[in-house]
Amino acid sequence: MFSLCTLMARRAATVFVASGFIATTALAAGGADKNPAPKTDISELLKIQSDVQKLLPRVRQALVAIQSGDGTASGVIISADGLMLTAAHVPNGPGKDMKVLLEDGTVTTAKSLGLDKTTDAALARLKDRGKPWPFVNLSREVAKAQPGEWCFALGHPGGFDKARGPVLRVGRIIKQTANSLHSDCVLMGGDSGGPLFNFNGEVIGIHSQIWEGRDQNVHVSMAPFLRSWEAMQKSQVIKTWGTGAGGYLGVATVMSDSIELEVADVIDASPALKAGIRAGDVILSVNGEAMTDQQQFSATVRARAAGDTLKLRLRTRDKERDVSVQLAQKPQEEGQ
Amino acid sequence: MTKDEFRRTKDSSTAFHAWAALSFGLRHSAFFILLCPFFLHADPPRLPLPQEDRTNGKHTLAAVERLKPLTIACAARIESPLGRAICTATIVGEDGYVLIKASEVPELQKTRIKFSDGRTADLREVHRETRLDLLLAQAVGITGLRAVSFGGAHSLGLGQWLCSVADAGKETRIGIVSAKFRRIPGEGAAMGIRMDAKASKDGKGVRIVGIASESPAEAAGLQEDDVLITIAGEKVAALDRVYDIVKKRQPGEIIDIHYLRKDKEASCRVRLASRSKVLNNWEGEDFANGGISLRNDNFPEVLQHDIPLLPADMGGPLATLEGKVVGINIARVDRVTTFALPVEAFWTEAQLWIKADRHPPKAVLAQ
Repeated sequence: MFSLCTLMARRAATVFVASGFIATTALAAGGADKNPAPKTDISELLKIQSDVQKLLPRVRQALVAIQSGDGTASGVIISADGLMLTAAHVPNGPGKDMKVLLEDGTVTTAKSLGLDKTTDAALARLKDRGKPWPFVNLSREVAKAQPGEWCFALGHPGGFDKARGPVLRVGRIIKQTANSLHSDCVLMGGDSGGPLFNFNGEVIGIHSQIWEGRDQNVHVSMAPFLRSWEAMQKSQVIKTWGTGAGGYLGVATVMSDSIELEVADVIDASPALKAGIRAGDVILSVNGEAMTDQQQFSATVRARAAGDTLKLRLRTRDKERDVSVQLAQKPQEEGQ
Repeated sequence: MTKDEFRRTKDSSTAFHAWAALSFGLRHSAFFILLCPFFLHADPPRLPLPQEDRTNGKHTLAAVERLKPLTIACAARIESPLGRAICTATIVGEDGYVLIKASEVPELQKTRIKFSDGRTADLREVHRETRLDLLLAQAVGITGLRAVSFGGAHSLGLGQWLCSVADAGKETRIGIVSAKFRRIPGEGAAMGIRMDAKASKDGKGVRIVGIASESPAEAAGLQEDDVLITIAGEKVAALDRVYDIVKKRQPGEIIDIHYLRKDKEASCRVRLASRSKVLNNWEGEDFANGGISLRNDNFPEVLQHDIPLLPADMGGPLATLEGKVVGINIARVDRVTTFALPVEAFWTEAQLWIKADRHPPKAVLAQ
């Protein structure tokens, strides 16, 4: 009776879930701050306002609306020859044609290149138009996008609307994970694939998923893009979790009965095995930092890149010893 | 949070694995780095930003604390006789004149106003302007109010900070001008029912075959298989007629409905909503976190901003960081959108309504 289908589909195509969110709320609860941030001053807000207003005329030109299949989404152009970032669930496969609209009225087609389905990162290329595309740079300093930093989002929530134009949101980064950023720039269906910017006007995130709460807006960080750049340019699909954000050690841990961090298993041919780490070893510290739980340990390992060397203090059968391990790239067992 | 279901469509398998990994990890207290990647995926290298440091957390809001006399003190709460918040009002005359979102108060006599100084009063309807969805009312017997100080909105660009009264007139929230000023066309009203295209067997009415979640029809208690007999006093035999009657009315309007349920006659009153509200929210998606306004379209001009507000905050003042009121919040539309009427769209007109009410034309004596 009502023409509901198009509206529903449009939203349905772009609203996702933060699959790992529940897992982290428990951690967050313990994080009552030791150093409360100073209260915001009105001059700080005004500085943000003037910075956003200075950057906006340039960066908004690189924002695009995408119409593909039954949904609408967003994307951002990152090179003069038309490379574009979006979310993987937008094209949902390589080699897909998507209709692209720019704010200046340009209508063109983009073909999706490679994508990382586990982190929701995707690359696409716009059809050549004989003159350079407006573009923005992406931030290569992934670690700098820390909780508390101000940021701003652009996108086409609900789809392209000429009278309205792109929709701006200003907010703060709430959380950084290995592959994503969470912010309080509120997103909704249609925003997927749109850019989150820092105050250099560089892309630091691609809108990906929302959770029920207003502060639960998830963006793909630049980490999976930078990590898989070559594979994505070759139109490859990354299906496994791949190399993670950082280095690979190759141990599985378990909390022992005496609540210590114990090595449960060591993966064949892993850096850990080569360094002589064995099941049953208790991990006491990493680079001098005492290890008390599994989350802390995995985060510590992941925070370092492949090639970095870690100093682990272990206890093997009541004897303490130090081991140096050079982290490797995690082998990609699956995918292409 | 009323619903904690996952918002997802395609990625059900991912969500399932995430849960599976999580429960596995908890039960066995084992944590296999390679086997439970989704658990790891969620590990933050740093703690999340505490609530108070977020954009609308109390540390950030400290920046606009000193604006409260120019915002909260110039707003009031419209409530039911039992004290339930209905919407917010903006004070525009020290002698009790206030502007309210008209579609929120179809029956003003059933409401009262509560000011930030604790005073309450009955309201007298002065002028209802459906085109703007504004109602000018006067708080009876109230003087000495602080009226807002209006400043122009049209000079504000995208990214301009704004603050609004929230939480039934008690708090402030900040956000920015988020899109272009523009007209919002109207799509008419709806009650949120799907009807049987075939006339009922005896030609007596129109059968309901579906009810939208959180819709006017649901709120009024209508159910599937009810047969509509009369709408707003008019007999209906075909669904086209139901459409016509509903569509030409305004969101917020109340219509009387008589219907048959299991051959028994019953009646109810339905408060209509904007068609777009009903259609976009058919399955109760609630993309606005806390609901959206009954009327969210058909405005001559709006200023769009991203301040997180509730439908009950509509009618309140919208101010710049200098404390100039540049508009009145008029519709909570979805998760990212709130509309305000910019000052330029209503204030010249509203001043005339106030003037006419303060100085009514004198009766001329018959000769």
